[in-house]
Amino acid sequence: MRDQANLPMPISNVMWVEKYRPNKLSDLVNQKDVVGSLKQLFKNTSELPHLLFSGSAGVGKTTAALCITKEILGDVWKDYTLELNASDERGINMVRERVKKFSRYAGLDGRIPFKIIILDEADEMTSDAQTALRRIVEDTAKYCRFIFIANNISKIIAPIQSRCAVFKFTTISEQEVISYLKEICKKENVKFDEKGLETINSYAEGDLRHSINMLQATASLGTVNESNVKKTAGLTKTKDAGQVLKLALAGKITEARNKMIELIKVYGMSESDFLKYMNRESYKIKNVKLSEILEIIAKYDYRVIVGANPEIQLSALLAELGKIGK
Amino acid sequence: MMWAEKYRPQAIIDMVGNEEARVSLIEWIDKWKKGTKPILLVGQPGIGKTTLAVLVAKQFGYDLISLNASDVRNKEQITHVLGPLLGSTTVLGKPLIFVDEVDGIHGRSDYGGVESLVKILKEPTVPIILAANDDSSTKMRSIKKATKTIKLRPIPPRLLRIYLGDILSKEGSKLVESSILKLVVESRGDIRSMLNTAQLRTTGFEPQTEKSFETLNVEDGVNAFFKAKSYDEAKLIMYSLSIDPREKINAFYSSIITSSLPKDEMLRMLKVLSEADIIYGKIRATQEWRLLRYLDSILLGLYKADSPVRYSRFNLSWPLLNRLMWDGKTIKKLAHVLAKKMHTSVSSFSTFYFPYMLLCMKNKTLDLNIEEHYDKVIQKEMELIK
Repeated sequence: MRDQANLPMPISNVMWVEKYRPNKLSDLVNQKDVVGSLKQLFKNTSELPHLLFSGSAGVGKTTAALCITKEILGDVWKDYTLELNASDERGINMVRERVKKFSRYAGLDGRIPFKIIILDEADEMTSDAQTALRRIVEDTAKYCRFIFIANNISKIIAPIQSRCAVFKFTTISEQEVISYLKEICKKENVKFDEKGLETINSYAEGDLRHSINMLQATASLGTVNESNVKKTAGLTKTKDAGQVLKLALAGKITEARNKMIELIKVYGMSESDFLKYMNRESYKIKNVKLSEILEIIAKYDYRVIVGANPEIQLSALLAELGKIGK
Repeated sequence: MMWAEKYRPQAIIDMVGNEEARVSLIEWIDKWKKGTKPILLVGQPGIGKTTLAVLVAKQFGYDLISLNASDVRNKEQITHVLGPLLGSTTVLGKPLIFVDEVDGIHGRSDYGGVESLVKILKEPTVPIILAANDDSSTKMRSIKKATKTIKLRPIPPRLLRIYLGDILSKEGSKLVESSILKLVVESRGDIRSMLNTAQLRTTGFEPQTEKSFETLNVEDGVNAFFKAKSYDEAKLIMYSLSIDPREKINAFYSSIITSSLPKDEMLRMLKVLSEADIIYGKIRATQEWRLLRYLDSILLGLYKADSPVRYSRFNLSWPLLNRLMWDGKTIKKLAHVLAKKMHTSVSSFSTFYFPYMLLCMKNKTLDLNIEEHYDKVIQKEMELIK
């Protein structure tokens, strides 16, 4: 509960992460190189190439893409932007249909140079779907620009890479995360101490988006200090993936499976994210058989991709982890 | 060995029924020269279309190149597979192309497949035989135009009765007359299914009863499999449990995952299911449906005498299933709306936003004006937060 010593915080009606999302490229945190070259490209908007942004989570890729659409399309940006991410159905036919429909609907009316399609988490698309995209990109080049966003650029097929101007977003330094958080604290009238903000950053591992969410949640408890941050940090569902890992290694397969199914089927965590977090958490648990654990996770990551029913593969993964835990 | 394979005729003359069709095909191959129209064999499953094509090739000295619908699903594959054959025939001997299930080419996203096949059919440089269960669909029109159709009819009961009696005596098996007649009638002229069913009836599993494996439901099938006395019996059950392959894998999965097995045995079975799921995934991705034949042999690896596994339709406990069906549905809907608003995926939203959001709401520092019908589930989720 909230510290009684503090005045009640005003009720916010937005998530801070949205409230403090920069609207202009120049306000982006620490992506000077990227911003600089992007601005260069803007000098002649009509010749803007397709863009590909890569970099880890929470460094500003989506924000940069949104800034661009706002700067180029102005007030009507929402009408002329199509955003697709991993939770949208992105089979080949689906993408083709949606993009086709979007590029057709409401022709260009002179107010804007082209429509913009943002494909977030494009590296989660199968290479087949990416291959199909390549045609679509070419067919619609007259009136659409694509912004592809990916964590891992090596998972974007070469033909798409070669059609885009590629921008690599660097990770945001601890200093910059902290100074950004400080600014928010000041604007929101939140009490904080240095250690608290450092703790947020270390939990969020350089992910600014995650940091801001954690900050807002911690602030709801009172002062942003180490102990309050620790209370909130456990809430992220990546921790739950870590719990599944621990349960499996302890041989508690049924419990592990129940937890996993809850994450995926109740909360909508994707199987590939689940495996990603599992992988990340396995470094944290200090198990002597780390390499075996990683190998098993990798094996089933592959199987989830080639198989038909991820649940079967993930259950087998847990059972196999249970075997080495002993 | 399956009787249908064991007693597959070795010569055209040994086949049962469809004398006229057999004669027509022999005349066609006998007079075949470059440019002769290809043949389309039409008839229900199990009456000898494949056998007929195989035997014609064999008796007239051709090398049979057999493809089924999944091999010819698109233009590239057709040109890739058939191209070399249509060119220099000398290298490859004397090919005869047999394309099974041509009516199955349609209905999938394999555009271009039919067109390129028809193109080849119009200028045949080698003999081509196609087979289809049904030629009435409009999609078959272009193929029909380019070919000569030979219809095969269901085998009449009289002939089936004689044929079955012959095989039963060769096998030294006996069935009461009423069972034999039932088999004949129920087969509706499908000789292969008749033989399969007859073989099952004589192997001792619920012999002479009204029920055959052909009509087993999933539940009885899975239970019979794990209760089977021998590997061979399990095998027959597995092969005759003819349901959708995905349904089959899932039925075994939910049965196994909910049974109390020793850890090692559970792991062993899950590994088998993992393999089965992979092959099914690959089949779906590549449309190579002929690989389905390996699915059953992989799943057979699940068999172990005296296994305690019994059929279960659901693979979760009731509370979790309940939560999944009610809360899960609402949460996902909500997550979808909010994720869109925040320019992120549902998965990221649930992981990095939702729990923090709930804490803020619980501490009354955040009000996102979420629609009322989400109140109940949000209340519940807030209580789950420590």
